[in-house]
Amino acid sequence: MRILYPFILSLLSFITSCSRPRELTFMVGGSPNELLYWEKVIGEFHEKTGINVKLIRQPTDTDQRRQGIVIALRSKSRDPDVFLMDVVWVGAIASSGWLEPLDSYIERDNLDLNKFFSRVVDEVDRYRGNVMALPVYVDGGLLYYRKDLLRKYGYTNPPETWEELLQIAKKVQARERQKNKNFWGFVWQGAMYEGLICTFLEFSSSFGGGIATDSTGRIVVNIPQNVEALQFMQDLIHTYKISPPNTYTELKEEEVRLIFDEGNALLERNWPYAWGLHEKNPELKNKVGITKLPHKKGKRSASTLGGWHIGISRFSDVKNEAWEFVKFVTSYEKQRDFALNLGWNPGRVDVYADTVIEKTAPHLVLLKDVFENAVARPSLPYYSGVSQILQKHLNSALSLSETPQEALEKAQDEIDEFIKKYED
Amino acid sequence: MKIKKNGEIRTAYFYISPLLTIILLFILIPIVGTFINSLYRDITYLPSRFTGFTNYADLIKLSDFWNSLKFTTLFTAVSVSLETVLGISFALLLKEVFTGRSFLRTILLIPWAIPTAISARLWQLMYNYNYGLLNYFLDVTHTGAKVNWLGTAHGAFWAITIADVWKTTPFMTLILLAGLQTIPDELYEQAMVDNATMWKRFLYITLPLLRPALVVALIFRTADALRIFDLVYVLTGGGPAGSTRTVSILGFHYFINGDFGTGSAVSIIIFLLVFIFSFLYIRAWRFKETL
Amino acid sequence: MKEVYVKKILIVVGTIFFTLFVLAPVIWMLFVSLTKDLGFLQGGGVNLTLSNYVNIISNKNLHMLDYLKNSIIISTTVSFLVIIIAGFGAYAITRFNFPGKFTIPLMMLAISIFPQISIAGYLFKIESNLRLINTYPALIFPYTAWTAPLALWILISYFSQIPRELDEAALVDGASRKNILLKIIFPLSTPGLISAFLIVFIACINELLFALLLTTDYRAQTISVGITLFQGLHGEIPWGELMASASLVTVPLIILTLFLQKYIISGLTRGGVKG
Repeated sequence: MRILYPFILSLLSFITSCSRPRELTFMVGGSPNELLYWEKVIGEFHEKTGINVKLIRQPTDTDQRRQGIVIALRSKSRDPDVFLMDVVWVGAIASSGWLEPLDSYIERDNLDLNKFFSRVVDEVDRYRGNVMALPVYVDGGLLYYRKDLLRKYGYTNPPETWEELLQIAKKVQARERQKNKNFWGFVWQGAMYEGLICTFLEFSSSFGGGIATDSTGRIVVNIPQNVEALQFMQDLIHTYKISPPNTYTELKEEEVRLIFDEGNALLERNWPYAWGLHEKNPELKNKVGITKLPHKKGKRSASTLGGWHIGISRFSDVKNEAWEFVKFVTSYEKQRDFALNLGWNPGRVDVYADTVIEKTAPHLVLLKDVFENAVARPSLPYYSGVSQILQKHLNSALSLSETPQEALEKAQDEIDEFIKKYED
Repeated sequence: MKIKKNGEIRTAYFYISPLLTIILLFILIPIVGTFINSLYRDITYLPSRFTGFTNYADLIKLSDFWNSLKFTTLFTAVSVSLETVLGISFALLLKEVFTGRSFLRTILLIPWAIPTAISARLWQLMYNYNYGLLNYFLDVTHTGAKVNWLGTAHGAFWAITIADVWKTTPFMTLILLAGLQTIPDELYEQAMVDNATMWKRFLYITLPLLRPALVVALIFRTADALRIFDLVYVLTGGGPAGSTRTVSILGFHYFINGDFGTGSAVSIIIFLLVFIFSFLYIRAWRFKETL
Repeated sequence: MKEVYVKKILIVVGTIFFTLFVLAPVIWMLFVSLTKDLGFLQGGGVNLTLSNYVNIISNKNLHMLDYLKNSIIISTTVSFLVIIIAGFGAYAITRFNFPGKFTIPLMMLAISIFPQISIAGYLFKIESNLRLINTYPALIFPYTAWTAPLALWILISYFSQIPRELDEAALVDGASRKNILLKIIFPLSTPGLISAFLIVFIACINELLFALLLTTDYRAQTISVGITLFQGLHGEIPWGELMASASLVTVPLIILTLFLQKYIISGLTRGGVKG
């Protein structure tokens, strides 16, 4: 008799897990305030369409978000039905055959693709000609600065070149340190994760370098301009000491934002999302400005194309409902709401001309131009492998374990070796 | 007593079959499957192709792989040594009769009972540069500068080792205590009559007779340390800069990045590693036994 | 004479070190779980509050209670299954003579040191194809196979202490093998069964690798995964809330362990030393 109990138990659990009701599951991560906002969005969607959406909450960390999505998709699981992807994964996920092509839905509902940033759609969302995802928001790295502190020390404008930044940050940090031991001139993301690639791409491009794919498809990272840029990044921490020592161990988006938010930094490199949060901070309201990132004298400013896109799983059992959600999230109204509430830059170009936006978030209009010219990371199926190799060596240089020259040489060798495996 | 021999065997198999079946399905087949998988180029977005031992050849060329191996074996050596020393010490302590002994025996199991993931996050907090307990003490008692535990390769190594030792010493202690309890008291009494010092008694009575329990504990602990995953994943994720990437984490990364072929190759290598070590231990033991 | 002193000192020092070693982290965990923020370490005041606990339980999107529920259901099911399966196996091994009587336990011993990663990859493939990912069976089956060897050794150790004469006597009286197992062996080895149950239960709650790879969301993820991925509601890692969720899991486990330690200890040592 006693034997039967456990068998019944396991049988029951088997049964109950197999017969899950059909519901729309949406997997998304992000910073805490973003997730809270998604809950609102889901509520609004339910009111409008009557469709119930289950929110599957992911961590803030980008790599962990990718891990969650990849495991789910690779297992051909029916959930999640719709999810957000970082701009760099769209290529990999699409080429793995995990995304539902959206062209037929777009045609059926007469969605005008031209309303979105066409460069973004073509370079990121298209795979073999088909549209596999749509932009929810576009991102680019920005320089945040304390208007009040600059004024206090006699500067009218934020730095435009790295040389200017160095000079201004050193002076302000030295003076502010007299009262506040924890004050830093310039904080940016240097921990070993995807964000480091974004930061590096900006520094290196602004030095005249970058991460390029040459005509043979080879990814080139080891060029003198990149070495110079990496050296500069290293020096910010160890030589000029205007960036904290835990830059390369702990600093990611939220950590950097908090340092600035707590009044402990003059300059911050971060994504646009931080704007709304800084403005909400009573201590910082009206004291924060944003502008393009600095560049080396004679070169051009660069901003890494970021952003998140929404896609439908090929294994979803509620694709039509999922498409309704996609339409909702990329609609004019919702895109405007995201901009006003979360400081996200809409993936839809038409929202930038909106009058409410112009009044309450005028900075967004300024940035439209930045985003149209942002630098993209390579869109490859095996990007994550390349990224990890590069991350490792960049971080190693920042921690002084390798010289910038060594780091980039080794990275180049390993990347070349790595790619060989993916050639057919 | 051996009535109906054939029927007996059939009944025996009936009773052992559920165990054999589930082991076959969920352990043996996966291991063989992993090995076969390691012989293919199996990457999500590319067609699968039989490549023989190419995955292994490629791994051997990778500095990442050797760093992983180095770290794993170094960690194992240090961690297991520390656990053993602590384990013996605690076991000796618990063998003595004194007030409070039962209290100690009671709390001994606490680190073992706490799920690894949880204790890892707990230690993560204690190692935090700004808010960690350890740095707080170093700072406040001026014994040293704050250590960037999780931010440097060196610090991270010790961070992981200390956390691992904390978690597994109870198990070591228990096994060794049980071993100690099999040593007859008369031997000690005899030695004391012969005026042997505490240290001599330890060296010539305790250690030799503890050997069987020691070997068992060492085999399990070494195998566990070589294949460690949970603690490292949560505490450092293999960082900083991949310096604490144990072989298990290396394999895991390959799987997450869609490269099941190489991931499987790494898995098989870990498998062989664990077994070679165990085999070596047993051989060493066999020799000593005959002495 | 001197030796007695040395011994006394060693015992005192040893006890203090031992206690600190074992308890300090746990006490710290509980303490932090009751604080709002860690500012007090840098000179601020200490604010004690229960709000962390309230937050993690009441916020549905954190799914803490879901993770706990999953862990408990999975671990209990596995423990029961393992007792049955390993019990049957131990019965066969201690009571019958058959080819494999000696090799099977040794094989089980070898299996218990298999690296999980070596199995996880292929297991993922199998379960994906069977559409089992992110369900309870996804973890129940591997866990059962994974913990069965240890349970087998523990139960072999207990069963072999029950004299075979009891079996013989019952057989002569006409009892079936099944009844002997259920009505004689199992009751007599209850401490062993409890041991095995507890050790398997704790091992399941502990497990991380399979849970990370074979489950994708709160409907099947265990508390180990939940706490690993926990990034909370506000700002950077919310230590207070994290420690609160850690305490929620740990305190019951510790209480369980403390009360039933007799069983756990004998199970571990018998399973271990016998090897």
